[in-house]
Amino acid sequence: MAVNYVPSTLDEALLLRKDRKAIPLAGGTDIMVQGKRGLGLAPQLDRPVMIISHLKDELGGIRKDEDGSVVIGAIATAAEIASSDIVPWHVRMAASGMGAIALRNSATIGGNIGNASPKGDLPQPLILLDAEVVLISFDGERRMLLDDFIKGSKTTDLHDDEIIASIVIPPHEFTYSYYRKIGMRKANAISKLSLSAAATIKDGLVVDFRASSGAAGPKVIRSREAESMIIRRPVEDIEGIVPDFLEAWDHAISPHAMPRYRRNTTSRMLTRFLEAIVNGEPEGIVR
Amino acid sequence: MPLTGIDDKVVRVDAEAKARGEARYVSDYVLPDMLYACMVRSSVPRARITGIHLPELPEGYYFISAKDIPENGRNELWMIAKDWRCFADGDVRYVGETIGLLVGKDRNILRYLQDNTRIDYEEGVPAVTIDDAIALKGGPIVGEDNVMCSLFCEKGRPMKDVFNEADSVFEETIETGFQEHVHLETNGALITEEDGRYVIYASAQCPFYIRKSVAGLLGISPEDIIIRQTTTGGAFGGKEHFPDVLCGPLLVAESVIHKPIKLIFDRSEDMLYSVKRHPSKTIFRTALDKEGNILGIEGTIYYNCGAYLSASYVVLQRGVFHANGVYDFPATYLKGVGVATNTFPSDAFRGFGAPQTLFAIETHLDHIARRFGFDPAEYKSRYFIKKGGETVTNGHIIEEVKLPEMLSRLAEASDYYRKAEEYGIGSGRGIGISFYNHGGAFTGNGEQAIIKAHARLVKEGKRVRIEVGSTEMGQGFQTALRKIAANTLGIEMEDVDYPNPDTSLVPDSGPTAASRSTMIVGKIVEECAKEMKERWDEGDFSVEKEYVHPEGHPWDQDTFRGDAYLGYGWGAAVVEVEVDRITNEVNTVGIWSCHDIGHAIDELIVHGQVNGGIIQSLGYAAMEKMENRNGHFRQESMSDYVIPTSMDFPKQEWSLVDNPYQWGPQGAKGMGELVFNGADAAYVDAVERALGITVTKIPIPPEDIEEALENA
Repeated sequence: MAVNYVPSTLDEALLLRKDRKAIPLAGGTDIMVQGKRGLGLAPQLDRPVMIISHLKDELGGIRKDEDGSVVIGAIATAAEIASSDIVPWHVRMAASGMGAIALRNSATIGGNIGNASPKGDLPQPLILLDAEVVLISFDGERRMLLDDFIKGSKTTDLHDDEIIASIVIPPHEFTYSYYRKIGMRKANAISKLSLSAAATIKDGLVVDFRASSGAAGPKVIRSREAESMIIRRPVEDIEGIVPDFLEAWDHAISPHAMPRYRRNTTSRMLTRFLEAIVNGEPEGIVR
Repeated sequence: MPLTGIDDKVVRVDAEAKARGEARYVSDYVLPDMLYACMVRSSVPRARITGIHLPELPEGYYFISAKDIPENGRNELWMIAKDWRCFADGDVRYVGETIGLLVGKDRNILRYLQDNTRIDYEEGVPAVTIDDAIALKGGPIVGEDNVMCSLFCEKGRPMKDVFNEADSVFEETIETGFQEHVHLETNGALITEEDGRYVIYASAQCPFYIRKSVAGLLGISPEDIIIRQTTTGGAFGGKEHFPDVLCGPLLVAESVIHKPIKLIFDRSEDMLYSVKRHPSKTIFRTALDKEGNILGIEGTIYYNCGAYLSASYVVLQRGVFHANGVYDFPATYLKGVGVATNTFPSDAFRGFGAPQTLFAIETHLDHIARRFGFDPAEYKSRYFIKKGGETVTNGHIIEEVKLPEMLSRLAEASDYYRKAEEYGIGSGRGIGISFYNHGGAFTGNGEQAIIKAHARLVKEGKRVRIEVGSTEMGQGFQTALRKIAANTLGIEMEDVDYPNPDTSLVPDSGPTAASRSTMIVGKIVEECAKEMKERWDEGDFSVEKEYVHPEGHPWDQDTFRGDAYLGYGWGAAVVEVEVDRITNEVNTVGIWSCHDIGHAIDELIVHGQVNGGIIQSLGYAAMEKMENRNGHFRQESMSDYVIPTSMDFPKQEWSLVDNPYQWGPQGAKGMGELVFNGADAAYVDAVERALGITVTKIPIPPEDIEEALENA
C-alpha cells in the first residue's frame, strides 16, 4: 500500500511532490475512480497521493488581474467557476454542465486539466481562450499555453516535481460566442462531443475567429490553419469561404468512435456559427 | 380513526425505513466469523479450459469449484431447465461464466488471489449475435442448429393463400438491443448454517426459486435450505433467476467451509456479469390489399438467449403471444426462435419478452400507415381487438377492451390529431402514439398447473400477519398487500404485518414476477381475509388458501392454443418531441399515457409505476445502449451505460380507465410490466415523424439518428 500525505503548506506539498512523486488530489473525482479495486476495498494507486484540497489560500480562488486576465486557482471547483461572474462565458458554460451537482462541488479545474481526458469539459473552452497554465515546483514557476501543456489523451507536460497552480485566461472581447456540449443524456453525463467558437467583428472585418472541438480527437482540437482562413477577411467574403473552412476543420479533427456523427455535427455547429456572422445577427451568444 | 379505503393514497409502508437508511440490505449483514467470496470468471466467450493456476492459498482461504460438488450432487442450476452449470467445468461458454469461488476473511487478500489466478484456454470462435447463431459461427453451441427453443402459433386462413391474394407484401426487420436492469442495489447473497440447515440471505424476487434451483448441487431437498429475502433494492427481473447463480456456488462453498460467507457484486460486476434483456430481431411480412388493409401478418421472431436457456423459452412464448399487439388481424402466423450465443444468458426483464415484439409490431404498423398516407392512430384503431375477439393463440378476449376510449382521452389530452397534422413529417417536431397490452400472470394455465400458489393469514390477538413468498423489491407490494388484507378484514393497515419472506415460515405463493402478485396472490390473500373476517371471534387462528383458477380459460400448453392469459392490462402512450437539427438531440416535450389496470389498489403506487415504467421504456428506446463485442459487454459503469434522469423526460400526464377485473382483488389486474411495454414505440414514432426517417432498430441515440438521416 502506498503512503498518502496531507501537506499543511504549499511548500510542503512541493517538497512531497519532488521527493515522493506524490499525486495531488483535490476533488478526487477522477483519481478515486481510477484507483477503484472493488467492493469493500480502499482505492489503490501506483504512487502516493497528497491531499491538497485545503490549500485554498495558495491554490484556490478566482480573481481578475489589472490587465483583465482572469486567474483561476487550480483547486477552484466547477461549482465555483460556474457561479463566478468574472469567469468568461464559455468556461462558465462548460463548468455548469460538468457531471452532477455533487461532482461539481468537488471536481477542480486543476484536476480536469491534469487528467487530460479528451472528453474533459474545461480544457475545451480554455484552449479556445488561449489560456495558460501556471506550473510551480520547488525550483520555481513556468507558464505555458494549455494547448501545449496537454499533449494527448491522458498525457501532459507536467514534470514529476510540478503541480498545477493556476490557469490564466487572457482578456478578450467577442462579438459572437458559441458553446455546445452533447452528452449521453441531458444531465450528469460525459461529453459525447463539444464545440466552442468565438469571433470578433470590427468595421466589417473578422479580426478574431477561433473554435475548439472536444471529444473529437486525442485532445482538444484547434486548427490555427483553418481559423486563419477566416481571420482578417471581410464579413461578406465568409459565405464563400465556409466550404473550404469546414473541410479544413474536418481534416483537423480525428474522432475515433461514431466518426460520422461527430464530424457531421461539428460541421453543422460551425455552419450555424458562421451563418450568424454572415447574416449579421445581433451580437452575443449564438444558439 | 377511519379505516384505510382501498383507493386511499397512503405513505408506503417501507418508505420511512428506506428514507432513514434503516432498512437492512444483504451487504449490511455481518455475522460472526463471516468470510467473503469473490468469483473467478471466464475471460473468454468460448473455450476449452486447459489449466487453472492458483497462487498459493493462505490458510483459511479456499478455491471452490466443480470439484467440490459431492458425488450425489449435480453441477446444475435448476431454473426452468437444468442446463446452466453452477461452475464451468472443462469448457466455458460466455464471458463471466463462474469457474470458481475464492473464499476467505480479507477482501484485500481475495482480490490479490483473484488477480493472480490464471486460467489457460484453448479458444474457439464465439457466436455473439443472432446472425452469428443462425450462421452457426464457430460451430453450433447447442444441438445442430443453435436453436434453444422455438414455437409457433397461427390463426385464420393459411398464410400462403393470404399472400397469394395480396396486392402487395411489406417486409421489414425490426431489432432491439440488450438492456441492463440497473437496479439500485447490486446482486448479493450471504450463506450460513442454523441447526444443521443451510440458510441463505439474498436480495431476490423469488426465494422459493433459489432453494429449488440449488438443492440438487448437494443432492439435498429444497426444504433442507432456508431462504430469507433481505430488503431488495430493485430487481426488474434481474433478481428472478439470477440469484441462483450466486447462491449455488455459495451453497457448495458452505458445504465445504461451514462458516458464514458473503458474496456481493460491485456495480461493474453487476453490469458486465449479469443477465440482460434478450436482444431481438423480428421479421414481419405483411399482406396488404390495394387500400392498405391488412390481410395477414407473418412474423419470424428471433431472441438471443445467450449460452444457457434460463427462462428464455417462456420469455420467447410471451414475445410470440404479444407479437400482434392489441390488434385482431384476419390471419397470422408467428414463429419464435430462441438462439444460443456465447453471451451472458439473457433472462427476465420487466415485460418478459413482450416489449420487443410490441415495439416491432407498433413500429411496423406506423410504417405501413405512413406508406398509405393514414394517420397511425386512426389506422391502428381499425384493428383494435374487442371483447370476444380471437387472439393469436385462438383464445378469446374475455374482458371489455377500452382502447377506443383510451385513445380518445389521450388524443384530447395531448391534442394529438391537431399536432400530428400541423407538424407533418420532417418539420423537426413530431408526435407519436402507441398501443400495447400485457397478459397478466403466468402464461396459459401455469398458475393452475405449475405454481399452485398458497397464501396464509395468521391472527394473533388483534394483529394479522400475512405469510406469502411474494417479495417487496421496490414496487410497493408490501403496501398493496397489507392494504388489501386490512381493507377486507376491516382493520387498520398498521395492524397487519408482512415481513420479508422466510421459506421455512411461509407457504410458496409463487415467484414475484409476471405482474402476478397483486392479481393472483392479492386475490388469495383477499379470500383468506374474507374467511378470517367471518371467523374473527374465534381467537388466534390461521387461514391458508390455494389459488383457484377461474373457469372458462381453456389452454393447451403442448400446442399453445387457447387463452394465453387470464386477462390483460391495456395501455396507450403519446410522446411529443422536438429534435435539434444540428446535434440530433431529442427534446421530449410531452408524455401522455392512459392505462387500464382493472381497478387501482393504490393510485400513488400506480403513479410511481407508470412514471418509472415509461421512463425506463423511453431510456430503452433513446439511450440505453449495451454493446457486445466478441462476447464482451463494452459498457461497465453507470457513466457509459446511461439511464435517463428526470431532466431527460421531465413531465408526464397520466390517467387510468376503471375497468374492474372480475377475478382480481378489488378488481385489480397486473400492471408492473404493462407500463414498460409501449412508450418506446411512441417515442420512435415521434422522432421518425420529426425527421422524416425510418427507424428499425433501438436504441436511437443521436449517432444512430445520424445514420438514419443518411439513409433517409
